[in-house]
Amino acid sequence: MKALSSLLVLAFALATGVASADDEALSPQQQQGKRAYNHICVYCHSPGVWGTNRLSKRMDKEKAVLENRTDLSAALVQTVVRTGIGSMPPLRKSELSDADLAAVAAYLARSR
Amino acid sequence: MAQPAVRPHGVSEADFKAALKAFADVVGPDWVLVSQEDRNTYLDAFAPGDADAHAPSAAVAPHSAQEVQAVVKIANEYRIPLWPVSTGRNLAYGGSAPVLRGSVVLDLKRMNRVLEINAELGYALVEPGVSFFDLFDALQSAGGKLWISTPAPGWGSVIGNALEHGLGYTPYGVHADTICGMEVVLPNGDLVRTGMGAVEGSKEWQIFKYGYGPVWDGLFTQSNFGVVTKMGVWLMPQPEAVAYVGVSLPGADDLPLMVDTLRPLRLNDTINATYTIVNPFRSIIDGYSMQGKSRQDIYQGKGSIPLDLVLKELAAQGKAPWNATFNLFDRDKGLDLRLAAIHEAFDRIPGAKVQTRRWHRGEPIEQWMRVQPGLFALGIVDWYGGPGGHMNYAPVVTPIGKRVGDYYESIYKRFVEYGVDYYCGLLNVGPRALLINAVMFFNRNDEDLMRRGRELYDVLAKEGSAAGFGDYRAHISFMDAAADMYTFNGHALRKLNERVKDTLDPQGILAPGKQGIWPRALREKKGRAS
Repeated sequence: MKALSSLLVLAFALATGVASADDEALSPQQQQGKRAYNHICVYCHSPGVWGTNRLSKRMDKEKAVLENRTDLSAALVQTVVRTGIGSMPPLRKSELSDADLAAVAAYLARSR
Repeated sequence: MAQPAVRPHGVSEADFKAALKAFADVVGPDWVLVSQEDRNTYLDAFAPGDADAHAPSAAVAPHSAQEVQAVVKIANEYRIPLWPVSTGRNLAYGGSAPVLRGSVVLDLKRMNRVLEINAELGYALVEPGVSFFDLFDALQSAGGKLWISTPAPGWGSVIGNALEHGLGYTPYGVHADTICGMEVVLPNGDLVRTGMGAVEGSKEWQIFKYGYGPVWDGLFTQSNFGVVTKMGVWLMPQPEAVAYVGVSLPGADDLPLMVDTLRPLRLNDTINATYTIVNPFRSIIDGYSMQGKSRQDIYQGKGSIPLDLVLKELAAQGKAPWNATFNLFDRDKGLDLRLAAIHEAFDRIPGAKVQTRRWHRGEPIEQWMRVQPGLFALGIVDWYGGPGGHMNYAPVVTPIGKRVGDYYESIYKRFVEYGVDYYCGLLNVGPRALLINAVMFFNRNDEDLMRRGRELYDVLAKEGSAAGFGDYRAHISFMDAAADMYTFNGHALRKLNERVKDTLDPQGILAPGKQGIWPRALREKKGRAS
């Protein structure tokens, strides 16, 4: 239930363009990546949902949320998104453009 | 442009290259996708076998109906088969992959505009790339006065799901019934609008389905007669209140009783939305999957999970063997009346239980209401361990307890024989029909399990056909098998479909093999020569 509520908050934040204090520490590309992440990736990778549940089988629960990872490289993110992994299907360019994918990768690799 | 590794059947390399160049002139070179990496993104991600059997040769992604028209005309010139997809997320039915290997995917995802939301009349006009997520967000931004009906996974297309006869869980849950007015590019490139949309400047396109003359909308659902580029979809005004109802029956053989108890309540509209009857296996699998567990956490055997183990586990969890869930949508006082009737029907059954909860306007939307799209349900595909997938056999059945119970058991025996876990939900489609949705999960690394699943589908379709049943929807690998079930008068319906196909699409360029409808040139071999 919490996951759903947070998705709603995210959807509204996205629609209204609300930026948090955290966003200001991000580069413009990383901010673009965060927006794309919240539009597409979050449905499987927020806490308590499919992708996070799968990843939590092989790492601690907090790190299973992609946004909390500190070990992701941009290249790995780009490869996984275009080829798929496990039960995650690949995302096509018509769903997530190369520019948005590069931005998502920059966002997820920001702490590395 | 990289050298294409797969070519459309019967098309020379020179013609294919020329066609790709012509496509690029229309949509721009970035949106003609031919690299190996790009083509792989169009393979069936849940293929129950070799995904390459349905590999596309390329994809072209237009941005407007006019670009679709131009692409279709080029396809006619070079005889390129096109496979339209909306968001390409029709997973378990083929995803974005074509029936005919070598087809060019016509990817409509970039056409993702919500063109109109009309809160006064309760409709939206959308393009095919609009997902349930997109429409939900747009409606929320518009004030949230209209609600969508969404299937379990929200990344699917509003148009695509309705065209494929998909279901949701509100009073608007039979999505094909919510279609009102289409814009369609015909296989020769002509653009038509159906219903009142055929009147130039009409303001009534999305409020009256019938127009004047034959109603064409149905012909563009589950067919290959046109590319739908816009569609009106009726939307439910936000109700005052919603009630969740979960009912359970205590006996392992109580399916017929469940069906016979729900049927009159649905027929008189006491239950005013889709209900789902959940079999014992599904109760276990859903519960385990929600916790991130998989099959090996309960059973390590090779054959299908024994029913007695499942019943024992359910009992240990305090759950009954047979459960049904649905939501009711009304004013508060109306919900009181509906719930009283439901209690009355179930309270007279020894051991039956009814659980309810409510939502009132102004409260946050909750997951049990099933009115916000998500991807929560997808975790079940990992039941056999990842990488997972599933296919379905979902015959239409009259909701009479004995008929449903007998056929359910007949399907169960085959699942046991083929060693596949019998995950099954029974969903009503409107007040008078039920689908027995028997789901075959598999691990894509387990060739033997996938083979057994494919063989299971074939035997179920053949036996179902002999017993007078028909599947309602099928994976691209089984579209011919499902079409074969519609046998009346020497497959007269198939012959009619073929006559329409030959008339509208004489070159056979649009989605060859979709729903078992093949163009004349490929009819005899059903594309197998390619």
